[in-house]
Amino acid sequence: MSHFLDRLLFFKKKVEPFSGNHGVVTNEDRSWENSYRSRWQHDKIVRSTHGVNCTGSCSWKIYVKNGLVTWETQQTDYPRTRPDLPNHEPRGCSRGASYSWYLYSANRLKYPLIRGRLVKLWREARQTLDPVEAWASIVEDPAKTAEYKSIRGLGGLVRANWEEVNEIIAAANIYTAKTFGPDRIIGFSPIPAMSMVSYAAGSRYLSLIGGVSMSFYDWYCDLPPASPQTWGEQTDVPESADWYNAGFLMLWGSNVPQTRTPDAHFMTEARYKGAKVVVVSPDYSEASKFADLWLHPKQGTDAALAMAIGHVILKEFHVERQSPYFNQYVRENTDLPFLVMLKEQDGYYVQDRFFRASDFLGNLSQDNNPEWKTVAYDEINGHIVPPCGSIGFRWGESGHWNIEQKTVDNQEVKLRLSLIDTKDDVTSVGFPYFGGSEHPHFTHSAHDVIQKRNVPVKKITLADGTEVWATTVFDLLVANYGIDRGLGGGNVATSYDEDVPYTPAWQEKITGVKRQNVIAVAREFATNAEKTQGRSMVILGAGINHWYHMDMNYRGIMNMLMLCGCVGQSGGGWAHYVGQEKLRPQTGWLPLAFGLDWKRPPRQMNSTSFFYNHTSQWRYEKLKVNEILSPLAKPKDWQGSLIDFNVRSERMGWLPSAPQLQTNPLQVVRDAEKAKKDPIEYVVKSLKSGKLKMSCEDPDNPQNFPRNMFVWRSNLLGSSGKGHEYFLKYLLGTQHGVQGKDLGDSGDKPSEVEWHETAAEGKLDLLVTLDFRLSTTCLYSDIILPTATWYEKNDLNTSDMHPFIHPLSKAVDPAWESRSDWDIYKGIAKKFSELTVGHLGVEKDIVAVPILHDTPAELAQPIDVKDWKKKECEPIPGKTMPTLVVVERDYPNTYKMFTSLGPLMSKVGNGGKGIAWNTETEVKQLGELNRLVTEEGISKGLPRIESDIDATEVILMLAPETNGHVAVKAWEALSKITGRDHTHLALPREDDKIRFRDVQAQPRKIISSPTWSGLESEQVCYNACYTNVHERIPWRTLTGRQQFYQDHSWMRAFGETLCVYKPPVDTRSIAPILGQKPNGNDELVLNFITPHQKWGIHSTYNDNLLMLTLSRGGPIVWMGEVDAAKVGIKDNDWVEAYNVNGALVARAVVSQRVPEGMCMMYHAQEKIINTPGSETTGGRGGIHNSVTRATLKPTHMIGGYAQLSYGFNYYGTVGSNRDEFVIVRKLSNVDWLEEPSQAANQQEEV
Amino acid sequence: MSLQTLKVLSLLLSYPEAEMLEALDEMAAVVEQENLLREDHKKSVLALIGSYHGADLMDSQERYVELFDRGRFLSLHIFEHVHGESRDRGQAMVNLLQMYEAHGFEMSTHELPDYIPLFLEFLSQQEQAEAMTLLHDAMPVLSLLGARLTERGSKFRAIFDALAGFAGEPEALEEIRRQAATEGEDETVVYMDQIWEDEAVSFMGAGDACKSQTAAVSPITITPRDQFVKAQNRSH
Repeated sequence: MSHFLDRLLFFKKKVEPFSGNHGVVTNEDRSWENSYRSRWQHDKIVRSTHGVNCTGSCSWKIYVKNGLVTWETQQTDYPRTRPDLPNHEPRGCSRGASYSWYLYSANRLKYPLIRGRLVKLWREARQTLDPVEAWASIVEDPAKTAEYKSIRGLGGLVRANWEEVNEIIAAANIYTAKTFGPDRIIGFSPIPAMSMVSYAAGSRYLSLIGGVSMSFYDWYCDLPPASPQTWGEQTDVPESADWYNAGFLMLWGSNVPQTRTPDAHFMTEARYKGAKVVVVSPDYSEASKFADLWLHPKQGTDAALAMAIGHVILKEFHVERQSPYFNQYVRENTDLPFLVMLKEQDGYYVQDRFFRASDFLGNLSQDNNPEWKTVAYDEINGHIVPPCGSIGFRWGESGHWNIEQKTVDNQEVKLRLSLIDTKDDVTSVGFPYFGGSEHPHFTHSAHDVIQKRNVPVKKITLADGTEVWATTVFDLLVANYGIDRGLGGGNVATSYDEDVPYTPAWQEKITGVKRQNVIAVAREFATNAEKTQGRSMVILGAGINHWYHMDMNYRGIMNMLMLCGCVGQSGGGWAHYVGQEKLRPQTGWLPLAFGLDWKRPPRQMNSTSFFYNHTSQWRYEKLKVNEILSPLAKPKDWQGSLIDFNVRSERMGWLPSAPQLQTNPLQVVRDAEKAKKDPIEYVVKSLKSGKLKMSCEDPDNPQNFPRNMFVWRSNLLGSSGKGHEYFLKYLLGTQHGVQGKDLGDSGDKPSEVEWHETAAEGKLDLLVTLDFRLSTTCLYSDIILPTATWYEKNDLNTSDMHPFIHPLSKAVDPAWESRSDWDIYKGIAKKFSELTVGHLGVEKDIVAVPILHDTPAELAQPIDVKDWKKKECEPIPGKTMPTLVVVERDYPNTYKMFTSLGPLMSKVGNGGKGIAWNTETEVKQLGELNRLVTEEGISKGLPRIESDIDATEVILMLAPETNGHVAVKAWEALSKITGRDHTHLALPREDDKIRFRDVQAQPRKIISSPTWSGLESEQVCYNACYTNVHERIPWRTLTGRQQFYQDHSWMRAFGETLCVYKPPVDTRSIAPILGQKPNGNDELVLNFITPHQKWGIHSTYNDNLLMLTLSRGGPIVWMGEVDAAKVGIKDNDWVEAYNVNGALVARAVVSQRVPEGMCMMYHAQEKIINTPGSETTGGRGGIHNSVTRATLKPTHMIGGYAQLSYGFNYYGTVGSNRDEFVIVRKLSNVDWLEEPSQAANQQEEV
Repeated sequence: MSLQTLKVLSLLLSYPEAEMLEALDEMAAVVEQENLLREDHKKSVLALIGSYHGADLMDSQERYVELFDRGRFLSLHIFEHVHGESRDRGQAMVNLLQMYEAHGFEMSTHELPDYIPLFLEFLSQQEQAEAMTLLHDAMPVLSLLGARLTERGSKFRAIFDALAGFAGEPEALEEIRRQAATEGEDETVVYMDQIWEDEAVSFMGAGDACKSQTAAVSPITITPRDQFVKAQNRSH
């Protein structure tokens, strides 16, 4: 048939194929597409971020439709970086991307909740009594308190309204302040940088009423004490973009792709331009796959590896050949040329303290602080000189605190590094060696505990005519590393194959890393640094910082970096990222956060010592001081339990105290006034006579209990409470899993602390938690306040990882009954002010403050440690004991103070890190911006701080980082002290003023300020210590330089003058329970490691179904295949891990990733999801912290001594937890404990 | 006019407050007089109302918080059981809001639109036929909750039984009951791998994907989440 008739001539079909028959036009109903169109429509997009402790500070677009958050996507409008440098965006990770779920989740807290039994007692009492009396009637009756304390964590919550909970909280606070003292009201909240206004809300309230703000960085054990020891600076680190500038990158105990997800790209991108990446991690972590070389030392032995690398670097680049760059760098920027005294002991010499100008005739012409000026030989004229920049120049004079190579009279100097060419003699110096101590699970390497090595010395005549031997830190360092310099004597190595500490061969036995790899890494690391002027970088983190002897791990690495001139150089240096706290506009935030605009000083406490003390963990301390003491120290001089050292430290003014005095401080002042005495004098006298006691000396005395506690922005009990079960038992007085015995039966009871045979339990009267989800901490709380989420409030967020300041924005109103933290504390302050009338009016409070870093007081105890209690000296506030300050509390005006910027900002000014400036102009401008208070009263005419946005503007206006004029003022103030002009660093941005609306429009790069040691510039990435090296601003240490050497007498006693290798300590938590509670399955002892996780940020997101789906849907413990096979554990089996501290239950992940001898439980996994019962405790399985207990280290308690002076989250004891071991075994019976708890509820189930 | 019985059920499923205790008799009277419920259901609802007589309010509140305010298992938000944490939840709530608005209602609390007592209050203001239709759409979720409460031996089951009697049981009721009887504490956690497993994408013979979606989109399409997830799989 012909096709002709079929063919149309005048028409064509409307449905024609196109694109070569790939497309066809159709005409069907397409209305279904509308649902997709509307699906992606929205009313507005708001910029916010996630105020979670991950330092991401990632920009997100929050989509809002009909007043509901529908989804979020990554924002991509960060300001550009520079040519050749990758950009920041997009930032974010799977965890943040799932956040909107929390808003409407079933786990969201919707209403204020309160413990039913408590509110019943309350309502009963309130029928006849006023609120404060009502509270008294409850907590003064032991039967009543037991009723609600004993069921904490076991349910029994009811909804309450805001009015009622505010009344209870305020009444409890008033009662506590009145009866026991305001310092019994405690607040714990971490990492202000993640939502600084929310943090400030609580701390402002507490500070105004005299309550205590608790530290977190040290408690989390993320604080590296080695940083202040070495630099006088706490965790100043390069931004992540600077990784890209490195030529040689080491990732050491840091799992960047997993825990720094939005930043990891800079590391991988650096590889594309040729950077070498070496990963040091015992397990095959996610980071390991990016490594050109993966080193896997036995966990906890990193210091041995670092020392061996240091041995090679020192020998090849400083001793056998002197690298010109390295040589100049260490001479000008470190303490290596400074002179150290040697003291004779048992026929050899030991390292003593630095020489000071005060040791010499006429104080070397230094009238001001001669005992705080260290000295060195000048190569140019051969004399001993006190070069500028040591800490003595910082206070009491101006213009000479800099590290130019000059003396105070402007003489050019060149400091002599080594005495080897000018020596008078060579002497044998004893170096402590700890690597030989035996541990059941770590390999030791036996050598003499005192390593005598020859050192070149010169004889020096002191002012009093005595002659002593001197050497330089450099000469000690070379000997300490065991390098042979041809000086004779033993214990030094000429070859890397000799088994002498600290050669590559020596470390092989301890770490298991091949010596060839050590040598290769050392050479490449140093060669790269030499060729690039310091572009070798080490990214390090929790993996090596959470050990008891973390200082050694860290100092070993810092030594490598300093020896290679990497610190303060672009692309180089020390990059510690864990739990860090870079609150960029810090000096603007401090007045808001601690009420410094109204009352100074605030009460601040180091949490590790606090919790160790008040959760009675000290009662179980099995680590003895002589086990950690240097073999060179005399044990008789160092007696006592670890808590004793902490008590000594507190009374000498080194560490803070909370509560402070056994007597209510309000009463103390009343007593003093009654006796017509100056309150300060009165306290000093009464302490000396013993009439007044410090609270730390008797923690089991009810007078000294912390009574009220606020937890906000934190999951203290579900995530960060080391010694979780001790918290439950002693602080809360509820069901717990503590298995061990306290020191009661042993002869090792502490001597400085009152021992009660029966320890106090349930010390807290009231635990209040603010959260947006029902966390473990909430479950244990008496009152739970629902907070606004990160899409429901206005706040600010900053990070170390990038230089931008970022907002949290209120995209929608707080859902249900929730409120922002700012509004919650404002509400409590209001109620407090109302109810306090008739109970507390204007009162006088006496506040004890430790000797603080970056204040003139840090020059407190120059040469020797003297304890007034032992009558070695007089108690002098601020010198030999805490500073005492009388502070007036105006309790009825708490709310008015809370909501306005107080007069002290105009009167006293502002400042930080030892620099002060006038801030009158900013206060005036803030008044214009926020408007002034018009209501009558003490706040009339002051700038308003009504809303959370008002609060952000206070920060932004006062901080140099966000206000160019302030930055210039701050640099001017510093210039006066250093005698060098630094204002050029901020002048180009003098007129910049960043406002809250600006950061909502786009994240803004902050302005360079002297608060930080790096620069925000268009030329270099932010890198720590950059201004020290390039602007010649001293490090805030004793010598003013980076310190290899620590000369404090406690450092000498514990053998840490120089870095050494110390194996993990024995916590003795296994033996008493091993084999004691059989369940029929084999038991295996493993090291318990808690790395940061992949499916959550600490405990946040952990209960998120998306994240649970990606992981195993509940708690998990990772273990190696070999270990699992030993005790018949298969993947996904339920296992129990336990020791004397408690027990946890989890599924086993059996993986090749994990080496033999250790198991890992990701931090932090709560017990709110899928946690069956424990066969050991009989209760529900615990959390990761159920098997830990904090153990303090005396060297972290040092204070009153230059860089080793206390600062909040700067120095202090840390809650290490990785030396811990657990027994792992298969669970024989998985019991979900579905029956209601007997204690909790006897009523019929409905 | 309005369906006061649904309002009573809404109250019974809300957090117990003193105000409700005062209205117990009134509530019982409405259930009796309106006579909307099947006899046996009416009896058990009246028993539930009666159980508050003489009961300690705080105990009731503790029990309520324990049951409904903690976790997703018995969450009273419909979409928790439908969309969980998925992004579709936001849009689903928006749809629901729009439906309320189309019927002339605006929300006056901080609650979410899918809160069951709120939904019931809305239905109580509708004509019976309309209420039944809307309620029927929600029955798969409501029945699941009812079955879970039944497993726990909770008196609150009466509310859900009554609703089922009023609106008609959902199709797969037996299956829902079986699920509730055999599931553990939180099915979505225990079986998450199965629930979330993506089926392989099949390009050949995938059927007319576009056409299958031309069906009218109901303002609320409510199926329990495992069925929902299955339905989302392309090759289904």
